Amino acid sequence: MIELLPHIVNGLTLGLLFALIALGFTLIVGVMEVINLAHGSLFALGAYFALATIGGDWFASTEFGIWWLGLPIGTRYATALAVGPLLAAASGMAIELCLRPTYGKAPLYGLLLTFGAALVVEEVIRLVWGTGEQNLSVPQAINGAFLMGGLIFSKYKFFAAAFALAAIALVWVFLERTPYGAIIKAGSHDSEMVRALGYDLSKLRLLVFGFGAALAGLAGIILAPIWGLRPHIGLDVVIPAFLIIVIGGVGSFWGAVLAALLVGMSVGITGAYAPAWSMMSMYLLLIAVVGFRARGLLGRKSALEN
Amino acid sequence: MSNSRISRRALLGTAAAAGGLTAFAGPWKHNRVWAQATDKPIRIGITSDASGQYANSGASDRRGMMMAISEVNDRGGVLGRKIEVTHIDTETTPATGSRVAERLISREDCGFLVGAVSSGVANAISQVAQRNGVIYLNTNSSSPTESGKNCHRVKFVWDGNGTNFAKAAVRNSIDAYGGKVLLLTNDYVWGHDTAKSTRALVEQYGGEIVDEILIPQGTRDFSAALLKIQQDNPAVVAAAVGGDDQIALRQQVAQLGMGAKPAWINNQQDWPDVYGLPLDNLFGVFGTTWYYGLDLPGVKEFVERYQAMYPDTSMRVPGNVFYNGYMATSELLKAIERAGSTNNIAIIKELEGHVMPAAERMQHDDAVIDPLTHQVQQSIYLATANDEPRDENDMFKILTQSSPQDVRDEGALEACKLESYEDTPTFDA
Repeated sequence: MIELLPHIVNGLTLGLLFALIALGFTLIVGVMEVINLAHGSLFALGAYFALATIGGDWFASTEFGIWWLGLPIGTRYATALAVGPLLAAASGMAIELCLRPTYGKAPLYGLLLTFGAALVVEEVIRLVWGTGEQNLSVPQAINGAFLMGGLIFSKYKFFAAAFALAAIALVWVFLERTPYGAIIKAGSHDSEMVRALGYDLSKLRLLVFGFGAALAGLAGIILAPIWGLRPHIGLDVVIPAFLIIVIGGVGSFWGAVLAALLVGMSVGITGAYAPAWSMMSMYLLLIAVVGFRARGLLGRKSALEN
Repeated sequence: MSNSRISRRALLGTAAAAGGLTAFAGPWKHNRVWAQATDKPIRIGITSDASGQYANSGASDRRGMMMAISEVNDRGGVLGRKIEVTHIDTETTPATGSRVAERLISREDCGFLVGAVSSGVANAISQVAQRNGVIYLNTNSSSPTESGKNCHRVKFVWDGNGTNFAKAAVRNSIDAYGGKVLLLTNDYVWGHDTAKSTRALVEQYGGEIVDEILIPQGTRDFSAALLKIQQDNPAVVAAAVGGDDQIALRQQVAQLGMGAKPAWINNQQDWPDVYGLPLDNLFGVFGTTWYYGLDLPGVKEFVERYQAMYPDTSMRVPGNVFYNGYMATSELLKAIERAGSTNNIAIIKELEGHVMPAAERMQHDDAVIDPLTHQVQQSIYLATANDEPRDENDMFKILTQSSPQDVRDEGALEACKLESYEDTPTFDA
């Protein structure tokens, strides 16, 4: 059991990171019923915007650049945590504007459009930042390692997990305790009624897509120092995010969080004791959950089940 | 009487059928004539990965091939014929590799296939190539099986393989750090074959394998494996993890400060996987076939030609993957010239046993294409992170060099059974 404990802790931290990845995805699916295949590209874009903000190579020779690069890495990193998601949100909103003609049509149109958007974003990243591996710097305070129970753990991994936990809590507060959150939730439940009450549904969708994209970008900034940063990093994100929302129940906030923790635990523990099965364990979990409960762990009951 | 008359419909039908046949026979006949003419371009199909785990290395591989082809075309081509290329992404996926090879041969009229980083993909491509008699150059995949049990008469393997690199590294590491070795193995053909070679060598030199951790392709979080390594407490970790997986592994090991203890042997280190990373990510010792910092004639000019051809590439100096892509393509075109024909059997015979002088290959030893396995036997270098770099590109410090005979893969020699010339379809490109 003592041998297992570090792997349980590791699985939980991994689960929180998966939850951060899935948060924006589940929000967009829940409210807009659009499977956003560009989620991974927005994830990558957020990290690349953060890279540009922290590194500042493109304005390094200007007076502002010299001043900026003279600031401590902590200040630049904190700024990047705001700038990256904001620019990812703007990019997400641009995708949503392109999506509008597909509303009310077969879901395949939206799926194809977001798939195309993912390819475009990835190519733009290649053109702007190149194809090679990039390194997103983090402040020294959260870098390095620490000893716990005679084992070395990454400080950054725990920072990232704590950050993910805070982000989950803030998103929950936003959705549950603010009037904006109430409108978003209402929009996911009955968009026609929201429109009938006088809310601008187009604006709501634009903001939700932007919010989901910002969360994807934020996840990208947090995960890039662990997973590395390359133009196609988004591909590594879409499949786990999709699995998590299906396991948790499409559109369910806590379902996604619970599913992410389960996926993290299964990947973390099999990674230690049956490593060849660690990636496969996600899919086995999906089969097990959907096999017994088609709507996912906390998904809403379908009208067909009544 | 009326029954014997040809109706208008029958006439039109016959005319349409005749037209169709003419249209079919016409181009076919035209192509036959064209094939004999000297102005028909020689078409090479590039089968490098542009997406998936080895997308980055695939791009470097492709740049190497393109530079070799560009240089030859600038000199007027081969046998008076220009070289044309078609590239299709093999997606680091064996099934896609098969489809791409089929398409390049049957629809794009390619007489040669070049390129691979993933051994699984290379194996899939080479099966299609052998069926069609099309010469295939496996430029950069380094599973021992590629020149062992999966060898083919049409396939030539240009990179050092897992056994070559393990031979160069394992004994030194056991002597220096002790015999408790843990294998960290990418869960596909190259990882398994390299781990198998490493295991045999460790046991041969009196060491012990304490555990083997399999890493599925596409793994991005190595924390579970790294915790397990700490619990197993080996003296040496022999890692056969490649591509993007390896990049993520390196970053996470560096974050934990585990790069120095245990000692790491990273079987082979492809340049595109580490270029631009912080130096602390480049822990352990690793093998390579070439480095731009080798103090040998021709290296400087080669780097200058690379920089002139690719002024906008973020990778400012060529690495081993580019080098292999360049050398393989260049030697293929020279073999066509020597053969004086594009007949596949004639070219295969030119390549088999061909000795490439060290000066031409910018290595320390002459290299030879083994006629029994079709693998290039060449110098193998052992390197580590350079703590005194001349500039930001100078990331490797070469520790030792091994001559081809010292690191020869005897296992591949035993396992390889090349098809006979008679069993290989004759093909004229």
